[in-house]
Amino acid sequence: MTTPRLIQNFSGAQALLIAPPSTATDVLAGTLMKLGLTVASVLPAGEAPWLDFEILDPEHHIVIVDGDLPLPGLAASAVPDLPPVPVVGLVGVEAPSRLKGLLQLGATGLLRKPIHGASVYAALFLAVNEHNRRRLLEERLARHEERRRGRRHVVKAILRLMQEHGLDDDAAYETLRRDAMRARQPLEAYCEALVRARPSVAAPALSPRLARS
Amino acid sequence: MGLSHHRIGILFSADGPYGLVGRAMLNGALLAVDEVNARGDCVLEPVIRDPQGALAGYVAGAERLLDAGIRHVVGCYTSSSRKEIIPIFEKRDALLWYPSHYEGFETSANVVYTGAAPNQHIVPLVRHLLARGGRTAFCVGSNYIWAWENNRILRETLAIAGGDVAGERYLAVGETAFDQVIAAILAAKPDFVFNTLIGISAYRFFRDFRSACAARGIDQARTMPVASCSLAEPELEAIGPEAVDGHLSSSVYFTSIDTPRNRAFMAAYAARFPEGPTPSADAESSYIAVHLLARALARAGTEEAATVRRAACADEFEAPQGPVRLDETTLHACLTPRIGLSTAAARFTIVAQAEAPVAPDPYLVRSDPRVVPVSRRPHLKVVP
Repeated sequence: MTTPRLIQNFSGAQALLIAPPSTATDVLAGTLMKLGLTVASVLPAGEAPWLDFEILDPEHHIVIVDGDLPLPGLAASAVPDLPPVPVVGLVGVEAPSRLKGLLQLGATGLLRKPIHGASVYAALFLAVNEHNRRRLLEERLARHEERRRGRRHVVKAILRLMQEHGLDDDAAYETLRRDAMRARQPLEAYCEALVRARPSVAAPALSPRLARS
Repeated sequence: MGLSHHRIGILFSADGPYGLVGRAMLNGALLAVDEVNARGDCVLEPVIRDPQGALAGYVAGAERLLDAGIRHVVGCYTSSSRKEIIPIFEKRDALLWYPSHYEGFETSANVVYTGAAPNQHIVPLVRHLLARGGRTAFCVGSNYIWAWENNRILRETLAIAGGDVAGERYLAVGETAFDQVIAAILAAKPDFVFNTLIGISAYRFFRDFRSACAARGIDQARTMPVASCSLAEPELEAIGPEAVDGHLSSSVYFTSIDTPRNRAFMAAYAARFPEGPTPSADAESSYIAVHLLARALARAGTEEAATVRRAACADEFEAPQGPVRLDETTLHACLTPRIGLSTAAARFTIVAQAEAPVAPDPYLVRSDPRVVPVSRRPHLKVVP
């Protein structure tokens, strides 16, 4: 959970090639097969490049896309920030607009055209492992966001326990944490359920003296 | 068909830091040239360049050979020298016939690899050690890619089997001060020591480790054997009689292979090079490279790289180690892995051997785990 698994052997994976057939892609396909991958070309003839992200299996697919192709079809179907599978970009015309297109597609590895067999393993290694690292970080960030949103319920639950049982905040928190653990629930979810299950006690009225000051 | 005549390049460092190995490889290649020329279906004219172990020498040597119109060069021992000259061969579409065991993770349409790939040396060695109960290793090696990659493969294979690497030390090539390393090994008490030191560092380590163990009453060869993937007969002779026996080596060739074919090879080698050095696995590999090249040239009827490559892949050669053929996809050779145990006579007794030649797997796509195994135990904490 703390560090992503390092993938170094690509046997059994499938490379989906979105690139026009050429000598360069022949070298690429040959090297990918040496590395144990199967290669499928998914460039529709006579159409703008397009890829159905729904069919992609993160454990199985690697997309290799030519940055010199018009990319809007891909960009439109891409998930907001990171595609579900690793993407390697082929760089021919080294221009900001083309590189931006690859970045928007979520490319985490690049191969310069013409392609040399000796650089394919390194590009694949970086693309796949960097993709996995980013995915893990994004998942972790989403989890933290979720927990951050749940903290208001924790604060409420602590206050409730302090009022009901005369505990200090540390003891109340410790009780909640232990009870959540026993219930096998995240602390935030447990506290939210607790707060919702019981009607809230009205806050004590402010004393006139305090109100005046 | 008329007798074809071909000039071929030979690029080995018979001088320099690994000159001993280079001389054995040069001898292997020249013996094969003699045999080819004696057979009479094709004449090879070797053009020899000696880079003397310097990287710049390899570039200059390769360029001079190719400038002279030569299309096929047999040469290189170290990976650094090979990687240095591959671009030259790719640019001019010539073929480099590379005859040494190496760490893998490379293929090129312009290189034919006749030495062992990692699935033919380190993988069989680790399996052999595991089968004999070896679970804990201590790695000591020269600080470059050969040691780094072999140690990685060892570490990962041991981790899968529930074993562990107790320590890992790297020393500069040529380093001979081993007191601290040996103290660390003796403190760790591993089941075996994995040696990826090369040259004089290795010879000194074998001697110092043996005497340090003897001083403590430890039978080093039985208690903490040293295992290697590069230890060959000329090196056993360099270690010297006091520490030569009881070491494990994983190789596709040992001089002790007891077949008529190998006995004939040994006799021919001894007759041609009475001064030595003793043939090593890499010498045999150079011998194979020249024979495969000559046969492919004769069959192809041209020196053009693609045609010679195709002809070489369609061939099978009866080598001193057994039948050898090239894998068309990777241009690496199918070879027969063996494990040898060194003797007091500076030779190897073969203690294990594959039943048939093993197909090369230079990227370990069939031999390696898909995911790097994690050897450390999970950290768990008790929740009250």
